[in-house]
Amino acid sequence: MKPPAFDYVAAHSLDEAIARLAERGSAAKVLAGGQSLVPLLNMRLAGPAVLVDINDIEGLDGLAAWDGGVTIGALVRQSTLERANLLRQRMPLLVEAAGLVGHPAIRHRGTVGGSLAHADPAAELPAAMVALEAEVVVRSQRGARVLSALELSTGYLTTALADDELLTEIRVPGVPPGTGSAFLEMARRAGDFAVCGTAALVTLNSSGRIDRVRIALCGVANGPIRARQVEQALVGESPSGPAVATAAQRVLDEIDPPSDIHGSAAYRRKLAVVMTRRAIELAGQRAGARHD
Amino acid sequence: MTEMKPARKVALRVIVNGEEHEALVEPRRLLVDLLRDDLGLTGTHIGCEHGVCGACTVLLDGQTVRSCLLFAVQAKGHSVMTVEGLADADGSLHPIQAAFMAEHGLQCGFCTPGFLMTAYELLRANPAPDEEEIRAAISGNLCRCTGYQNIVRSVRAAAETMAAAAATPAVPA
Amino acid sequence: MVVEERTWVGKSVARREDPSILAGRGVYIDDIKLPGMLHAAVLRSPHAHARINSIDTSAAKQVPGVVAVLTGPAALEFVTPMPAFCAEPVVQHAIAIDRVRFVGEAVAAVAATSRYAAEDACQQISVEYEPLPALSTPAEALRPDAPKLHETLQSNVVFERTLRFGDVAGAFSSAAHIVKRSLRWHRMGAQPIETAGAVASFDPYSATMTVWSNTNMYNYIPWVFANLLKVPTNRLKMIPCLVGGSFGSKHLITKCFSIAGALTKATGKPVKFIEDRIDNLAANDNVGPDRFYDTELAVAEDGTFLGLRLNIVDDYGAYFQFAQGQHGNALSQPTGPYRIGALEYGIQCVLTNKVQQGFFRGAGSDHGNFALERLVDAAADELHIDAAELRRKNFIRPEQFPYRTPTGNVYDSGNYGRVLDRALAESNLAHWRREQERLRQEGRYIGIGLASCQERSAYSATEWWFWYDKPPLPLTTTPESVKLSIDAFGGFLLTLGCPFWGNSPSTVAAQVVAEEFGIDPATIAIYYADSQSGALSAGPGGSRLTVMLSGAARGASRRVKEKMFRIAAHLLEAAPSDLELRDGTVRVKGAPNRAMSIADVALKAHLFKLDIPADEESGLAATFTYDHPFATRPSDDRTDMGAFYPIVSHACHVPVVEVDPETGRVTVLDYLAVNDCGTVMNPKLLEGQVVGGIAQGIGAALLEEYVYDEHGQLATSTFMDYLLPTAFDVPPSVRVVHEETPSPYTEFGVKGGGEGGRMVAPVALASAVEDALRPFGVSVNELPMTPERIVSWIEASRP
Repeated sequence: MKPPAFDYVAAHSLDEAIARLAERGSAAKVLAGGQSLVPLLNMRLAGPAVLVDINDIEGLDGLAAWDGGVTIGALVRQSTLERANLLRQRMPLLVEAAGLVGHPAIRHRGTVGGSLAHADPAAELPAAMVALEAEVVVRSQRGARVLSALELSTGYLTTALADDELLTEIRVPGVPPGTGSAFLEMARRAGDFAVCGTAALVTLNSSGRIDRVRIALCGVANGPIRARQVEQALVGESPSGPAVATAAQRVLDEIDPPSDIHGSAAYRRKLAVVMTRRAIELAGQRAGARHD
Repeated sequence: MTEMKPARKVALRVIVNGEEHEALVEPRRLLVDLLRDDLGLTGTHIGCEHGVCGACTVLLDGQTVRSCLLFAVQAKGHSVMTVEGLADADGSLHPIQAAFMAEHGLQCGFCTPGFLMTAYELLRANPAPDEEEIRAAISGNLCRCTGYQNIVRSVRAAAETMAAAAATPAVPA
Repeated sequence: MVVEERTWVGKSVARREDPSILAGRGVYIDDIKLPGMLHAAVLRSPHAHARINSIDTSAAKQVPGVVAVLTGPAALEFVTPMPAFCAEPVVQHAIAIDRVRFVGEAVAAVAATSRYAAEDACQQISVEYEPLPALSTPAEALRPDAPKLHETLQSNVVFERTLRFGDVAGAFSSAAHIVKRSLRWHRMGAQPIETAGAVASFDPYSATMTVWSNTNMYNYIPWVFANLLKVPTNRLKMIPCLVGGSFGSKHLITKCFSIAGALTKATGKPVKFIEDRIDNLAANDNVGPDRFYDTELAVAEDGTFLGLRLNIVDDYGAYFQFAQGQHGNALSQPTGPYRIGALEYGIQCVLTNKVQQGFFRGAGSDHGNFALERLVDAAADELHIDAAELRRKNFIRPEQFPYRTPTGNVYDSGNYGRVLDRALAESNLAHWRREQERLRQEGRYIGIGLASCQERSAYSATEWWFWYDKPPLPLTTTPESVKLSIDAFGGFLLTLGCPFWGNSPSTVAAQVVAEEFGIDPATIAIYYADSQSGALSAGPGGSRLTVMLSGAARGASRRVKEKMFRIAAHLLEAAPSDLELRDGTVRVKGAPNRAMSIADVALKAHLFKLDIPADEESGLAATFTYDHPFATRPSDDRTDMGAFYPIVSHACHVPVVEVDPETGRVTVLDYLAVNDCGTVMNPKLLEGQVVGGIAQGIGAALLEEYVYDEHGQLATSTFMDYLLPTAFDVPPSVRVVHEETPSPYTEFGVKGGGEGGRMVAPVALASAVEDALRPFGVSVNELPMTPERIVSWIEASRP
């Protein structure tokens, strides 16, 4: 399983990278971590004429505090995310999600930007970013624009990125104090893509009731889903009572799961309700713990 | 029908097991093929070529990577360590290799180089891993022969041997 | 019974195979490099069933680096159609001729200066297919309007037969209860981490073919390969490499040979063909049985098992190269460890548009264990008898061995009650039952499983053909050979006829020789013979190698020792019977000063002919062919299959699992395996085999499955979709405990244990999952138990 031939350009600056993309357009593919792209090439399921290698570009792998939240350079490796103290403090949801991606060797190369740009509907990071209401900065020779993580995903392995655009940065706003989070997934084996994964962020008020909740899912549609109806049903409720189970049922109206050998649509629907309920309960517990 | 023209090759220098090598390769040439065919280091094995089995695991600048998912040109100017870099040239095994032998951590041996490199990375970062940490570290390497139990025992035994050696000060010459 | 004092046999001697392999110097087939060697790649059919109307290779031939492109008809100049062991006219070619019958069947092969270029060329080959209706299940293949997959056959049922042993009608008519189950075990395959491959080099000037590969049987039936490659049987040299796992899949890699062989002849250069992972998953014949069982167990009022009916539809895929071998194997132990006197065993072998079956660890007896133990658990439930006690009550008793089973196969020895006792004692059952109760209160469900199964070892070749009344190739030889030589300076050199599959043949053989000579096994040099050595060896497989190598190594050692004693006796002026071998010297008993070292004797034997007995040949070596220690013919009427797998190990497995009923996830919490593999040659190695087999059994129970859709499209063509167990899928501890009931038929009393883990674990885990889901009333009748299936079973059991 050897890849087909391609022209190769190692970009040494952002300008060079976006210039190459502008030149070659749809004939070019960006090589970042390569953990999703190279298997496709080895299997000859993709055959781009040009690979633009962005691994040598300086300044795209920063991880920094930003206004209560964080900015993450597109080239930040998933294993860096997993180990970052800054994230453990500010948004442990990302640490938890990153730890579920593949295996250590995959995470050493795989990048955050790459995961978002590849847009596999079963991938954990896009769903976590949607739950966190993250935004992505996208650049081309035509300038820069900002998209929400939800807007970025437009379908199965498709994004709103134009052929000449490069995702350069992810901005994740701060999470309110007293928030607990959880990323739970059902996969066939540890490290596999999620058959259904749920990210939940639960913020409690001083009486221990849900003040705010954000829920996103992967594996149950052709991209990450933000489960707003579930969220609305939970405001003011206890994070551990029967209202959670009732609210979780609403996720069925918000998803359109695929069927494949790892899970039929019907099974994914069942999982979505279960994983949503459990993620909310766990996030609620963790929020309670932060309160105490 | 696409016309096939001979591909333009890229020159590269890479350090493998401490030795510098030069090569002239097509950009699409996988790192694992550079190591095995161009440099004759056949200890790294090919099991799947889609990043799942881990038989091709090597260290790139000290981190485990799937050499079947890297192009040789990406290793340009970088440092690679393969299983051949573990043992001494005189035939004495690295403590991790010795531990695998003592604990029967290999049967057919085909996946073993990948596990050895993974264990090497783990024990450098975490000299006293617990069972859960060992399993997590090796969870990306497939073994079809051993059922993993003896591999976990091997890594634990290696950790103990290496810790004991580190604790014993070297005798001055 | 006197137990011999042993120094090496029975000890966990360290593996001598390891140091080179650990250093990265093990030579596997892909490490073979020859000057001028070309690389092959194969173009495979995207259709499950289609006519090939035309193939245009002209663009492919223009790809830089390409030296040859062969289609099926072109390859026939160089190679024959595939050899087959079936009696039926099912014609197969390594590269399809005019019709493809499964997704992944080869339609062209390319040799080029690199694998990259060869694959480039494959992409340039233009094939005009005419798709035909695909048969994706036996039910479809059995429909009267179904297309015939082979015009040479009457239908898609390539073979069917029902055998009856004992008074089946009587057993069932007198039964107080008949327990019935319909069972399903889906298609699974060996998936070794190393794929199959060959480097073939033809020299037209001497008309000889040399092939390096990871195949087995090059010292057993080499003429199969020679005929395929159209070279005289004495002009093919096959050279073994280390094998990166086989589990049955590399016995006879005739497709790789055919492709590499045709291309080396076509190009005049050595050609390497190594399967990539998709080649191996889609088209290597490493597939195990794919069965639908209708089963019935006739039980007396008091729980005594009277008779067993197994009626099986088996989906063989598109070809029948290995015939119904995985049913021959299953006839070794279908009645398990029980005194069941009557058996009906009916098979319907159906062809579909899938890759064909080969052999996969367990080879059909794993399925047989599943069927029987599910029935036994069902009987325990229906009759309200404790599952362990029901088994114990029906076990063959220690005084009944050697025990003739209804099919004619013999079980050599055993003490199944003792194994069960050990399992019950060491499995911490009371603790787990308390946990089970406690956790149920919390809405969590754990289960404890139990399975008591046979693990037959050391097959006789008759199992491959006795389903036929008129077999095309009724082989009765299943040998194993080693050559032991002691060189002029006392250096021991052992040459093995078998290949290395990971199951430590060097270590085992060295232990035996060391035991016989009283030397350190580490001093013995070991080599693997090529196919010109004449070292008749069926090689690994069927858990035979420890048994057969023990016999071969001991036999060769005895011959060499006898010659050594004759020569030493002459030189020491004593009778051979006055001599003994102690601490590496040959000495006169009671007169230790009258001694010679082994090296001294060897020097004389090699270089000093006039000092040794006149009738003695020079040298000090012996080749010993150890034939199957107890194999008999099947009767002509096939009411008695003879003894063909009489060295029978036994195990009791007790797994503990947790099942999450909302997601269907199964976690294996604990695992105990009590094995009786007779005398244990090397406890550490045996434990490794059992634990490895149990991991494969976990895969079979929970993860592994070939999925073909309704169009015959293979959904599991990579490791992303065909799921193998990882370190997280096996429990924190798998405990392996040994009982030893030696075999009366083998050297040292050893029995085989290589397949046992995988033969027992799947049904033991099914039992555990069923136990966990007892509150839901779920009955487990299908493998693998995927999370989705488990959730649907729970749903279906709701009132």
